[in-house]
Amino acid sequence: MAAANCWRCLGRPSTQRLLAPSSIPSFKNPTSVAAFTTSATFLAKDDNQERPIEAPGPGERKAFRKRIQLSNDNALKVSGLSELEAQQLVDPTAVGQMASLPTGLVDQLRTIEAFKPTQNWGLFRSPHMLVRKDTVDFLGDMTKRIANKETVRTVIEGERGVGKSMLGLQTMAAGFMNKMVVINIPEAQDLVEARTDYSYIPRTTPEQFSHPSYILKLLQALRSANEEVLSKEIIKLEHIHLPGNLSRNASLATLANVTKEPEFAWPVFNALWQELLQPGRPPIMFTLDGLSHIMRISDYRSPSFNLIHAHDFALTRLFVEALGGKTHFPNGAAIVGVMTKGNWLKDKSVEKALEQARAAQAELPIPERDAYYSKYDERVFEALKGVEVFDVKSISKLEARSLMEYWAASGVLRMRVDEKTVSERWTLAGNGVLGELERVSLYVSRL
Amino acid sequence: MVITTYDGYDLQKTSLTILQVFVLGINFHPQKLVKKTLESFYSLGPQTSARIMAKYTIHPLARLGTLPVKTVTSLTAELSTMTIDNDARRIVQDNIKRLRDMGSYRGRRHAMGLPVRGQQTRNQIVTARKLNVLDRGGGDRIRGT
Repeated sequence: MAAANCWRCLGRPSTQRLLAPSSIPSFKNPTSVAAFTTSATFLAKDDNQERPIEAPGPGERKAFRKRIQLSNDNALKVSGLSELEAQQLVDPTAVGQMASLPTGLVDQLRTIEAFKPTQNWGLFRSPHMLVRKDTVDFLGDMTKRIANKETVRTVIEGERGVGKSMLGLQTMAAGFMNKMVVINIPEAQDLVEARTDYSYIPRTTPEQFSHPSYILKLLQALRSANEEVLSKEIIKLEHIHLPGNLSRNASLATLANVTKEPEFAWPVFNALWQELLQPGRPPIMFTLDGLSHIMRISDYRSPSFNLIHAHDFALTRLFVEALGGKTHFPNGAAIVGVMTKGNWLKDKSVEKALEQARAAQAELPIPERDAYYSKYDERVFEALKGVEVFDVKSISKLEARSLMEYWAASGVLRMRVDEKTVSERWTLAGNGVLGELERVSLYVSRL
Repeated sequence: MVITTYDGYDLQKTSLTILQVFVLGINFHPQKLVKKTLESFYSLGPQTSARIMAKYTIHPLARLGTLPVKTVTSLTAELSTMTIDNDARRIVQDNIKRLRDMGSYRGRRHAMGLPVRGQQTRNQIVTARKLNVLDRGGGDRIRGT
């Protein structure tokens, strides 16, 4: 028997209890916080009516699990927030502001799979994000150095749920807004878990492998997301070994689109990469989420039945060489590897290499390797040589407040947002771990 | 509402074009795992199938429909050089037949479907009943099925 009143209606704050949030100017009418809900009717069960249960078709479950919902018509519209601008991401005075993502940028980010299924975009009317202190620190420094045609090689580190992937997303957003060529590998574990096809690249010693279907998909995503930048650039090198007819003055977008065959995906990708490395091109941003996954021996086997090291795959090798400083970028580049903490096998080599990189960055004595551990992977140390480690920290109470006010204005957080409640939630969330803050505040209403 | 779905439907697309895949003259459904296909041949187990697949750089979760025709042909070529299926089955059956024709104890026990190596027969001889038969491994696989 369903209750006459739903529990959510009872939990709805009255007009008196809800204070107008300070950071959202036009949010003047608190009664607009979901005055009506259909949950009671929705939750009422009708036992007499038995519907036949249909089993989901092949692939449907996974599609549901991996779906990314970027808008929700049931959420309230939050007006008065500005659209995100490139300047905002590097401006120290913008710290703590919420900004909406422009539609074009959302499309670009979605194409390169910057949004993750684990992030709660589906609770809100349209995608917004918080400009954090970490964002401004990281992107401010990065933008300045890329303008000087330097190469920024960074590993984004931090506790679980602290917002590493979100910082990765903000980095890509900055890349798109600053007209860089953004290449993103959304899940590094897809490349090593032996779930996608692989093939031997002929005439390579030591032997190298590619992921034909994966690279083709990546190439197509990269072309459509970066079309504006790529279509302005004309090819400079000879590409006689590629299929199809490339005219002399074809653009890089045409080059990226030259094949639909997985077999030729890697040669085309490689050709595009070589073109981008020519002087006078726009700067490159190459990001990868789940860096620790590619720092191990993969589950794939070579024709001689040996396990293949992740760095023997052409795509990961490209990334790792760029990250380790072996590739020279004449136009400036940002190579960003995002670590993952929710899902990784602890690896002593990665830990030690990052520890050493951190010490080098702080100009402290470099910690020695454990003399009694023989399984250090030399290639991992090579790949992480001289990288900068950026630690994502917790958010401040000010940032938490601005975020919670946005949640309240969206109708997701049904409580009065004042200093006391912000402080309470901030403390509950392990002193401002963003993922935990979402957990204590949003998961009550997440379906 | 904007929903981006993860594209995991590559297989179905290909299976529409190829309805059957022939490996060693036997047709298989294109949705069938390559690993399972290989292991459907008598005497070819997980170790050998893994090695064959590595040799042609086929990943463990690959399905027949996604393989290029070239690879399917070379798989057939590879399998045709191996002693598998009917040939392998016949070797085992011949060995048992030899024991029986000699009139040895082991041959007789095989013929009776009883344990061969001195086990008790009071209880628990299900495995012996199942395996110790003259045509061990069943009859020949009919070509083209």
